[in-house]
Amino acid sequence: MSEFHTKTWGRRTRVTTVVAGIGILALVATGCARGANTGGGDESGDAVASSPGITDDSITLGITTPLSGPTAGPGTCTVAGLEAYFGAANAAGGIEFGDGNTRTVEIQALDDAYDPQQAAANFEQLKDSVFAMTSGLGTPTNRAWREAAIDDEVPQVLIMTGDPLFSNTEESPWQLGFVPIYQNEGAAFGELLAASGEDHKVAILAQNDDYGEGYVEGFKEAIEGADNVEIVEELTYEATDTSVDAQLTELAASGADVFFNAMSITPLVISSLQKAQELGWLPSWFLPSNTSSPTAILEPGGATAFPGVYSVSFAKAPASPAFAEDEDVQNFLTNLAEYADYPDMPAFPHCMWSYMIGGTLEQVFAEMTEPTRENFMEALRTVSDYQAPLMLEGTAVDTTEDGQPAVSSVVVQKYNGRGYDTVEAFE
Amino acid sequence: MQTFIQLVVDGLSTGSIYAALALAIVLVNQATGLINFAQGGIAVLSAYIAYQFTVWGLPLILAILASVVVSFFIGAFIERYLMRRFEKGDPDTAVVVTIGLLTLITGICAWIWSYNNLQFPSLFPLDTVTIFGAVVSVRSLGTIFVIVVIMLILQGLFLGTKLGLALRAVAINPESASFSGLKVGRLLMVGWGLAAALGAVAGAMVAPQLTLTPGMMDGALVYALAAVIIGGLSSPLGAVVAAWLIGVLENLAAVYVPFIGYDLRIAVPFILLFIVLILRPQGLFGRKVVVRV
Repeated sequence: MSEFHTKTWGRRTRVTTVVAGIGILALVATGCARGANTGGGDESGDAVASSPGITDDSITLGITTPLSGPTAGPGTCTVAGLEAYFGAANAAGGIEFGDGNTRTVEIQALDDAYDPQQAAANFEQLKDSVFAMTSGLGTPTNRAWREAAIDDEVPQVLIMTGDPLFSNTEESPWQLGFVPIYQNEGAAFGELLAASGEDHKVAILAQNDDYGEGYVEGFKEAIEGADNVEIVEELTYEATDTSVDAQLTELAASGADVFFNAMSITPLVISSLQKAQELGWLPSWFLPSNTSSPTAILEPGGATAFPGVYSVSFAKAPASPAFAEDEDVQNFLTNLAEYADYPDMPAFPHCMWSYMIGGTLEQVFAEMTEPTRENFMEALRTVSDYQAPLMLEGTAVDTTEDGQPAVSSVVVQKYNGRGYDTVEAFE
Repeated sequence: MQTFIQLVVDGLSTGSIYAALALAIVLVNQATGLINFAQGGIAVLSAYIAYQFTVWGLPLILAILASVVVSFFIGAFIERYLMRRFEKGDPDTAVVVTIGLLTLITGICAWIWSYNNLQFPSLFPLDTVTIFGAVVSVRSLGTIFVIVVIMLILQGLFLGTKLGLALRAVAINPESASFSGLKVGRLLMVGWGLAAALGAVAGAMVAPQLTLTPGMMDGALVYALAAVIIGGLSSPLGAVVAAWLIGVLENLAAVYVPFIGYDLRIAVPFILLFIVLILRPQGLFGRKVVVRV
């Protein structure tokens, strides 16, 4: 028997295998993300006094969020901030609820790796043991179990997605988004530019999905009727692309002096900043709140080369010298290290956002008169003009407005080489 | 015209990254007759190793060289203790094993270094030079240059040295090669080792651009495999030319063919693949395999 496999048959078959393999890999690489439509949840008709996940002395919150995969950095933050807030609250004796009980808050977080199917499975796993789901990051992942949450009447609230669907009470009775919707952010940029009084040519690069479209929609609505702002070129890219060099080349040729880059992929933002410099194209930049981190994006991208990099925010940046002495920020960093096992300076705003969610939930708990999910949803809608910890001057939590997320107010900020300063006008 | 030149140079630069990986795939194929899907994963691991060396304080160029050496041994080790068990069997099984290996290595990288994007310093400065009015980055030119050099070395290795000849002999007919006194096992290890070392160079060139993450090479691997098939499995030159063709055509199609645009440009290499395979089943530069019946 031959000791070695002699390959007299193989070439053509081999090529077929390889081509098939390429096809499989291409599918994997482009990550066919389709929202899983889990229509689960049979009506269990027995009305229990209190909902799952709550006792007289504790309440359990569930999170499904990416803890591994490319989005793990921000995802880990969505849990850490919440753990920091409630860890400190538990250590101080717990949270006082509107029904007179003082409860400690437990958190159960599961990893969905930004995979919609996994997120839906996580929800099924958690729904009977947690009182409410909160804080999880991601539009496709939160969408995947939105209908199941409605069917099972489980709150899916104060989640991190800019998708307006979650803040529409009619469509999503058991949901509420926390962070500003994409349109809010895009509109803030548009308003700033329209109010500048100078003529501006704008180039736009947008992610080819709801995220990119939402930003551009908000921006366009805000500049409607402003005759000093003209969009000279508008291109898209796919979230799976590994390079946007060609787009940048084309946009640079448009001669725009303002570049609105509605992009959610960290490495691509860094390489766009670098590419624009290589091309010698130095416009002012507008970047979304989730991809404008000074340490993770702007520094490696060499953003100081541009006349201005603008983003929107509603959270104090702990790394910024402006807040080095801020009591709010110092408490936050202490709690983050102590209760969330997160000793580093957060590179993502999600750490601050989930900390604010903790504060917002405490407000809601104080309004709850019965330990039920229905009562919680009613209480949820009563928070107005609440200045959560770490919130910037000029922004607040307001859950009373239908069609808007808990935070719909943002301030525009400009990069100062280390962190951001709030600006009143486009310079 | 300026935009056109710009797009071509950028295309050559992205194409060079695909080419680096494609060359490694060709190398393993020449040595073992297999297509190694894990090549991208091994390149990512090498990039992480180089990153770790820089963290330990080695200057970048030494860190990359050290990673190239370490990667050579990792490649040889994988061949000797894992792939050897599958090489004698059905080649399709071995291909599936390499796909499994890709997933495993990605997981190991994530386990050790996390999924966060790490900043990997670039060998080349962020400077630019102007060529015919188009602004070309030194990084693009550097990447292209490195690939051309490696390609020439490989082409020379296969066609002009005893080792290259031995490698090819082992791939074509291990049994006869073994009878002629070649140390087949060692040659297979050398083939895998060289491919991993090459992957280390590719990884170090890609990482500054994409930032270092465990899945960094996934997209590039798909293009590299397409380049290998288009160029012909046996030709380093073919792999590089095909990779460049893919990079350039992708850019040009996106900008100049409105119907394709940026959304469909991922299809360009595969349309090219079908056309080439229909016209020349052995690839652009491949050798026809003739079997006597």
